[in-house]
Amino acid sequence: MSTLRREAGLAMAVARKDALAELRGRHATVSALFFAAVVLLLFGFALGPDSARLAAAAPGLLWLAVVFAGILAVNRLHLLETEDGALEQLALYPVPRRVIYAGKAIGGFAVMLVLALVVLGAVGVLFAIDIAAAWFPLLVTVVLGAAGIAAVGTFYAGVTVRLRAREVMLPLLMLPVLAPLLLGAVKATAAALAGDPFGELGAWLQLLVAFDVIMIVAGAATYGFLLED
Amino acid sequence: MPQTTIYVSPRSLGAHDTRPPAVVTADLARLFAGTPALAGVSLRVEAGRTIALLGANGAGKTTLLRLLATAIQPSYGMAQVDGLDLGRQADLVRERVVYLSHATGLYDDLTARENLDFSARMLDTPERAARVERALGDVGLADRAETRVRDFSAGMRKRLALGRVLLGQASLVLLDEPLAALDEDGMRLVEQLLAAWREAGVTVLIASHAIERLERHLDGRVLLDRGLVAEVSGAGVSSNPLAPASERRQAVATG
Repeated sequence: MSTLRREAGLAMAVARKDALAELRGRHATVSALFFAAVVLLLFGFALGPDSARLAAAAPGLLWLAVVFAGILAVNRLHLLETEDGALEQLALYPVPRRVIYAGKAIGGFAVMLVLALVVLGAVGVLFAIDIAAAWFPLLVTVVLGAAGIAAVGTFYAGVTVRLRAREVMLPLLMLPVLAPLLLGAVKATAAALAGDPFGELGAWLQLLVAFDVIMIVAGAATYGFLLED
Repeated sequence: MPQTTIYVSPRSLGAHDTRPPAVVTADLARLFAGTPALAGVSLRVEAGRTIALLGANGAGKTTLLRLLATAIQPSYGMAQVDGLDLGRQADLVRERVVYLSHATGLYDDLTARENLDFSARMLDTPERAARVERALGDVGLADRAETRVRDFSAGMRKRLALGRVLLGQASLVLLDEPLAALDEDGMRLVEQLLAAWREAGVTVLIASHAIERLERHLDGRVLLDRGLVAEVSGAGVSSNPLAPASERRQAVATG
């Protein structure tokens, strides 16, 4: 069996373990979805019933809700590892550190993708926006955005998981790094919803792809240092 | 109830006299916030021996085991497992060492079988499904395989963690308070495991405050006091990392 296939199998085992624990406990998704719903409803009330105003604000509100809900979710997925010394045990398995990072990031991506798609649907309903008309570019944007948040979130959740003030530190560390992703995701979403009148959608998606690749490679290369004590 | 014969699946180990010492440490130290938990320990443990680490709370037993397991890095000093350097060859050391710590390292929302299956995948255990079932039987949890660990007692969690130890292909087993939380059956299980590891030529280091229960399984003892080796006794262990215990005894005998 090739090394790559073996490592992919191990990463999927880590991701499957996280997904199974989340399906059973729903610790990450319930709190994150509730938070996202509150954000959308509050901003919806604040902006009022003007449909043009709501449509203009929708891309920003979508990603605001997704990113904060995502921070809650990746933090919770790493908290699983604090149960009875699980993180130390995970670090002692004779597998490359990049495998553990990849597995945690894939698990985080799966949760983020579900979150982002639910929030996208909620934005469509609450703000009366026709999502179906631009479903494909929106789906690509959501997938790339969720991947970037999971890649960054997995790394920084590894940084903060041993800290007492992790709930405070995680957004403080993540949000500045996520700025290019948020810019690209909001602009790509706005362009997709508007029918891409200026032909800018491709450029924003390229920014998201570049961000994801850089963050995944950097996370995989450095995550091992976070497991050392 | 545990089965009578426990399968421990060691690595392919050569004869005792051709194997390097299982553990060599020289001036090994670890500081936490500037305070030494281990203050310069030099030890040599021969392969295939069962050695007890003794000492009061805070003597450095757990710190020494965690260093050898690569769970923490030394502040200074040198350590080798099977001739492999802990600092530079940690990945290879992890393939040879299994560690049972105070914490069980189990996932509450997974069942007993799912926990062991995950560990078997990460440990690359051959014949994974069969070995997981066998380990569940060996630790007396076959009938609770589908129960989530969240619903386990402390003793059952410890048994399941022992089951995970059985899945590794180790040449060195590190046990930190293995008898804690176990009932009489559980303690007999640990004794069975020690006998099986001895039979298989696996080296075992045990830190325990109830070591009298395991006395007949021990070859040697190391007493730690405030992060230093206070006394070494018995066979298979020496406080001189450079000379095998047999040579050291010979030197003493010939004056």
